[in-house]
Amino acid sequence: MSLELRNVSAGYGTGAVLHDISLRVAPGEIVTLIGANGAGKSTLAKTISGLMTPMSGEILWDGVPIHALPTALRLQRGIAHVPEGRQLFAGMRVEENLALGASICDQGRPGAGVLEEALRLFPVLAERMADTAGNFSGGQQQMLAIARGLRASPRLLILDEPSLGLSPKLVAEIFALIRFLRDRGLSILLAEQNARAALAVADRGAVIENGRIVMEGPAAVLLHAPDIAERYLGVGVAATADSGEVTRMAARLRACVWGDAGVAG
Amino acid sequence: MNTLVQIVLGGVLQGSIYALLALGFSLVFRVTGVINLAQGGFCTLGALLVYSMHVDWGMATLPSALIAMLVTTLLAAVVGRVAFVPGLSRLTNSNMLMMTAGVLTMFEGLVLVVWGSQPYALPPFSGERPWKLGSILIQPQGVWVIGVAGIIIVALGWMLMRTRLGQSLRACAENPMAARLVGVNVPRLQLFAFALAGAIGAVAGIVVAPAIALEFDTGRLLTISGFIAVAIGGIASFPGAIAGGLLLGLVNQLGTAYVSSLFSAALSLGLLLIVLIFRPAGLIRSGVVRRADVREEARVWAHVTRISSSNAWRWGGLAVLLALSAPFVLDDGLLGALIITLILFLTLIGQDMLMGYAGQISLGQAGFMALGGYTSSYLITAQDWNAVPAILAGMASSLVASLVLAAVTLRLRGLYMALATMAFGLLVDSCTVGFDDITGGPSGMVGIPSLSVQGFDFDTPARMYFLVLALVVLVLISVAGAMRAGFGRALLAIRTDPLAAAALGVNVVGCKMAAFAISALLASLSGSLYAFHFHFLSPEMVGAPRSLELVSMLIIGGEGTLIGPLFGAALITILPTLFQPLAIFKTLASGALLAGCALYLPQGIFGTLLRLVPQTKGRKPMAREQAA
Ligand SMILES: Nc1ncnc2c1ncn2[C@@H]1O[C@H](COP(=O)(O)OP(=O)(O)O)[C@@H](O)[C@H]1O
Ligand SMILES: [Mg+2]
Repeated sequence: MSLELRNVSAGYGTGAVLHDISLRVAPGEIVTLIGANGAGKSTLAKTISGLMTPMSGEILWDGVPIHALPTALRLQRGIAHVPEGRQLFAGMRVEENLALGASICDQGRPGAGVLEEALRLFPVLAERMADTAGNFSGGQQQMLAIARGLRASPRLLILDEPSLGLSPKLVAEIFALIRFLRDRGLSILLAEQNARAALAVADRGAVIENGRIVMEGPAAVLLHAPDIAERYLGVGVAATADSGEVTRMAARLRACVWGDAGVAG
Repeated sequence: MNTLVQIVLGGVLQGSIYALLALGFSLVFRVTGVINLAQGGFCTLGALLVYSMHVDWGMATLPSALIAMLVTTLLAAVVGRVAFVPGLSRLTNSNMLMMTAGVLTMFEGLVLVVWGSQPYALPPFSGERPWKLGSILIQPQGVWVIGVAGIIIVALGWMLMRTRLGQSLRACAENPMAARLVGVNVPRLQLFAFALAGAIGAVAGIVVAPAIALEFDTGRLLTISGFIAVAIGGIASFPGAIAGGLLLGLVNQLGTAYVSSLFSAALSLGLLLIVLIFRPAGLIRSGVVRRADVREEARVWAHVTRISSSNAWRWGGLAVLLALSAPFVLDDGLLGALIITLILFLTLIGQDMLMGYAGQISLGQAGFMALGGYTSSYLITAQDWNAVPAILAGMASSLVASLVLAAVTLRLRGLYMALATMAFGLLVDSCTVGFDDITGGPSGMVGIPSLSVQGFDFDTPARMYFLVLALVVLVLISVAGAMRAGFGRALLAIRTDPLAAAALGVNVVGCKMAAFAISALLASLSGSLYAFHFHFLSPEMVGAPRSLELVSMLIIGGEGTLIGPLFGAALITILPTLFQPLAIFKTLASGALLAGCALYLPQGIFGTLLRLVPQTKGRKPMAREQAA
């Protein structure tokens, strides 16, 4: 199951926030979207999961256009979205949150066991099934949000800023979980401001700036590309400029994905 | 002791009905974030359907009740499908409120057309003979009411807490976005909640019908009672709705028994105001932060439409010339309607400033008309005052009332503000009925003389017309000037974002108070003129229904346009005069207009006209400025 976006534009009201986004997520791949606050990561996530409809362009899921489908049907086809800020049903119990996560598929798809395995990774949830979700700490809420997303046995999991507001230890746990899920065969689209951690875990990355993808490539390459290092990893040019090899590769990459004119940075 | 038990029993009975109504409100509010004012309309409709089937066609009670409930639920589903749910994704909460007010008016109009305006009494289900329980008498219908309310409450609670459907409904109430993300069909559940509230309303109406006299506007009273109950208890929680209903019923019955039936309404309104001021979210709060608070802030306001200054003078001048010729060409009936239109327009100018510019919903503007009208009329008829000081005294009383109201409600936002102003209007209502020594009570105040200033009597329609026209032009020019100047911009800033406005140095409290005060002064003046014009003033001329009608006029004409309400007022006042035989359809039509405008023409008729007419060479009055 692969996801493909072709020249997608989307926005709120009249103005477009995303411009001509093209992106691919292959099966079993972690793709990370990195970019500053307000770049359009969440908007892109919402457009893929169906909370917003694109103004133009196509979204293909396994070659089939899905951009006109409502959220529920996209979820049924295997695209789950764990939104920014967790968005739990705060006044409801943990088990109710999880049960709602399964609203769409009673029949249980192959791979439904992932949740059970995942729950073993965060035993807190299993212990506190009858507690009210709103009383949980940030890390536990994030775990629950991911667990709720997994409950629909998705094939693609869209995670929007899962590390936001968590302690470094919890961030590490979340990223370990993401790897674990990928190893179980899920595709993952990970929107993150925490570029270093995201690139470290991802297979490929795309940099989004002002609603456009300005750079895309293997995560390892992006991790060492000077533009990225400077802007998103908090490292000066000097520190990475010695690896001329990588710079040239990044430049070539840009040129072949975007042509010479397409690059803003 | 026995009397007390009897009274408490009566309170529980009345409270059960309020609780049912409140449950309907709460259900729709929790799932959609909107107050559905049409709730009481379902009650009347259900009850009158049973009346027709049972009394007119001789069907048994139970089948007629079931069919009536089904029909009402279906109608609710249609309204929900056509208007309510589509509106949710596009309209602001205040426009949704207006739309449901329109739907309520449509229901009333429908009842008026089908059943007429006479009262109906459904025979009690199990005879009239009271049952004896020791020394306590119980009306069998009371047992029906309490029993049915209990069953519905338990069933609804079970459905919400124990079933899959209920879980999804609660998910929509908690977090609609997350509900969509887990695959819940949110619009369908919103529709379901709306239709279910319709069914509950129908049942409530049917069981209570034998205990009250049903009229076409009973729905409005039931809506208001349920609304008050839910506001007292806490709209975001079901136990709150039930507790609020019971409390309101008890207060009503105790008030009637120990104070006076005339003031029992005032008592419950006082209770509402106190709750709103000290615990705006109601006595029982829901456990978690409600999404409704978010929605109240997330208003997407329509732009304010304005005519450029030079065009305004040109077209305004032309309009005044036309208006000056009116008394010479119109017959007395039409001229009378035109006078009423202009008098109401005076109130509407202030109300537009308050709602369209400052964004403060007022559902009690007629209360200020009543204060002005009754004060000045009383001073003239009973105290032999001259007209001008009497009018000024009326305005002063409205001013004081508005400042007090503003002071206690300024902390309230959106929904609660609307509630508080409505409670104020109802409070004035119950006072005009209650102080019958001064006001003449329900039958009204008679013998109010024509307006006379320095010996000059405005005693012909033409004279009255010119006076009112002059006042309207004067007020319109000054208010339009103020709206274009700093004051108008400050109000717009407050409407858009009060916090940001305050940060920019706008005196938010002062500006809101000023808008409130000015609108009250204008309403008061118009109330006095209204009384002089009719030589008569009764509670229903300046009561809560009038407040809602004023809001209709404003929305239909176009909020935030100043001129627009004139169109709304003219439409609702003059058309029925023109087409007398169709007057029975007036309520239905104005309800449909209000709902339609709220849904499709958020800028009203005038605002839409301004947008439609092409802007050519700057000669037409279309140069629009958009407020940020
Ligand atoms: N609900 C909304 N209405 C209007 N504009 C929005 C809304 N949400 C986000 N935006 C705008 O869209 C742009 C992208 O936002 P977002 O996708 O949330 O960025 P990111 O997730 O990368 O921080 C921002 O400029 C933001 O102002
Ligand atoms: Mg974001």
